Amino acid sequence: MSKTLLLTALGLGAALCAQAGDIHGKVTCKGVRDSADAVVYVAAIPGKTFAAPAAHAKMDQKNLVFIPHVMAVLAGTTVDYLNSDAVLHNVFSPDACCDKFNLGTWPQGQSKSYTFKKECAATLLCKVHPEMEGFVVTSPTPYFAVTKADGSFTIPNVPDGAYTVKVWHPKCKPSQKAVTVAGATAAAFEIAK
Amino acid sequence: MNPSTPPRLRSLLHGLLLLALFLGLAAPASAFPIFARKYQTSCVTCHSVYPKLNPFGEAFRLNGYRMPKETEDLIKQKPVSLGSEAYKRVWPDAVWPNELPGNAPVAVNVKMANVYTSSTDASGGKTIVHNDFQFPQEVNLFAAGTLGEHMSFMAELTHAEGPDGGSGTEIEHARLGFESLFGPEHAFNVRMGKFAPNLYAGFQEMWLMTDNGVDSLFNYNPVGFKGGTGVITDGAGIVSLPARVRGIEVYGVLNHRFFYTFGFSNKIGPGSGVATNTGDGSTQGTPGNFGANNHKDIYLRLDYKFGGMGLDGDTEGVQMPPENWREKSFRIGVLALKGNGTNIDFIATDANGPILDPSDNPYHMQDTSYTRTGLFASWTYSDLNVFGVYLSGKDTLETRSADGLTLYATDDRTYKAYFVQADYVLAPPFHLSARYEKLTPGDTTVQPVKVSNYNFTYLAAANLKFMLEYNKSEQAGVGTNKSINTVIRAAF
Repeated sequence: MSKTLLLTALGLGAALCAQAGDIHGKVTCKGVRDSADAVVYVAAIPGKTFAAPAAHAKMDQKNLVFIPHVMAVLAGTTVDYLNSDAVLHNVFSPDACCDKFNLGTWPQGQSKSYTFKKECAATLLCKVHPEMEGFVVTSPTPYFAVTKADGSFTIPNVPDGAYTVKVWHPKCKPSQKAVTVAGATAAAFEIAK
Repeated sequence: MNPSTPPRLRSLLHGLLLLALFLGLAAPASAFPIFARKYQTSCVTCHSVYPKLNPFGEAFRLNGYRMPKETEDLIKQKPVSLGSEAYKRVWPDAVWPNELPGNAPVAVNVKMANVYTSSTDASGGKTIVHNDFQFPQEVNLFAAGTLGEHMSFMAELTHAEGPDGGSGTEIEHARLGFESLFGPEHAFNVRMGKFAPNLYAGFQEMWLMTDNGVDSLFNYNPVGFKGGTGVITDGAGIVSLPARVRGIEVYGVLNHRFFYTFGFSNKIGPGSGVATNTGDGSTQGTPGNFGANNHKDIYLRLDYKFGGMGLDGDTEGVQMPPENWREKSFRIGVLALKGNGTNIDFIATDANGPILDPSDNPYHMQDTSYTRTGLFASWTYSDLNVFGVYLSGKDTLETRSADGLTLYATDDRTYKAYFVQADYVLAPPFHLSARYEKLTPGDTTVQPVKVSNYNFTYLAAANLKFMLEYNKSEQAGVGTNKSINTVIRAAF
């Protein structure tokens, strides 16, 4: 491969990356056991809307636990709640941003659904088992990620540009900051209870 | 005892004396490895030598068994949720959420002692007991922990075995606490149940490194024909200062360094009375069960700590050494207690025993009003901690007929007591303590009681200690008691 061809290929690769970069980094939640389950997402982008996915997201209730514990979805997504336990389960939310919905009670093998229409951090509770809690965080953009146990996250395929990036965690106060994406972009967040 | 004492009464008094001796052995022993498990930390995080608390341990205790500025990641045993936090938003449509400790919050203390005692009476007669193996002397079962952010609990069940093989079991503590209910953190806390009141923070038995408690403060009975005559037995002097109470207490720490507490309580203890007088000549209730009347004791204590760690664990602006028992501080406090023992009959005694009326019935007495006021001070300089209390007591004693109906005399009697104790950390495993106590009884015809107590403790492990303790108690005209106790205590 000639030197000119190699430089051309590298330049083309860099240009492609710049068009579809990512936001990666770490969320540190001070004072809690680990930094898992924080949701990092790009806030609403003025003038841009995103079509809700046709496919439903699924949250299970198994062994008296919501699985996953925290789910991030795009606004307009319908979430199906499956009961995999041999006991009755219920799902409701006390949060106004999802109309304080209550889906009733249903037995093993059945599921009920709710569509999250707008940006919201909804707490999900089960009236039958008060210790159960789960969360659905609705992002206005499809650019979101849920952190791993070490707090790391990657939001893929974020177009270059200037954004407000928000972070939410079940036990810490939410936060946000401006992030300019240019290819692979690092962003770190430190939040506390 | 007076030679004319009727046999039935003599036998009753002997019984009460034995009961008091037994209960005296059941001294509170506070060491909670429950928290070592919960936080996965050593006992010496909170204790210089258990049960004596270091400054951090005192803050932990006053914070309702929570670390200063505690965060979730400090707690290694994940609690059991009794409801999602979000349920607070739907109350009262659901029960308020709370938590349980992750594991059964139970711990055990075992205490064994080899006891040598020597008693010399006023006439020089001597009684010596060599090497009495009191194995065990007592076993304590503890439960303690937190229930969510604003509740805590503590209970202690003690089983003690006396020198004669007799044994007994008692609930020594059982209380619930409600912390930081409103206002600034640590400012307003409430607890209720059976507990050692914060009135004695720093000098009640459950917070002392020594095996013997301060008898001159807690085991003096001020009720007597001419006032109290001295320390009768361990546990018998519940009218002086009640070591534990059944009550409701409010306490808090303000601005890191000001401590306050006040409470309302019944006293607890065997007493030396005979029964509760109903006022119509008949009696009811358990003999000696002091506190079974309509009146409550009230108490108050105010402290301020200069230097060292704040009472809530605050260290802002303070340079603390890495040795967590050390600091340079001075804490001073005033304390007061007021009560009313009307309708609780005691047998009128002097140094020789019960005083009989012309019909050979013992006079009865009631302590219709008593006040205790005291001053507490504690100075810590590096490895040395010197602390003490001066206490003044006043009792209004009514002398009555045996049926309680005839009032013969009302007298005000006063007594005073003080102690000073020095604890020194030779090295983390080796501790020394020396204490001197003096009690000047209300009965001016008897001599003061002087007590010396010396202790050497080897902390073999954070939860295992050996103590060698010498105690001498003397009262001119009454006699001298000496004891050497070799004690092993383990907490697990």
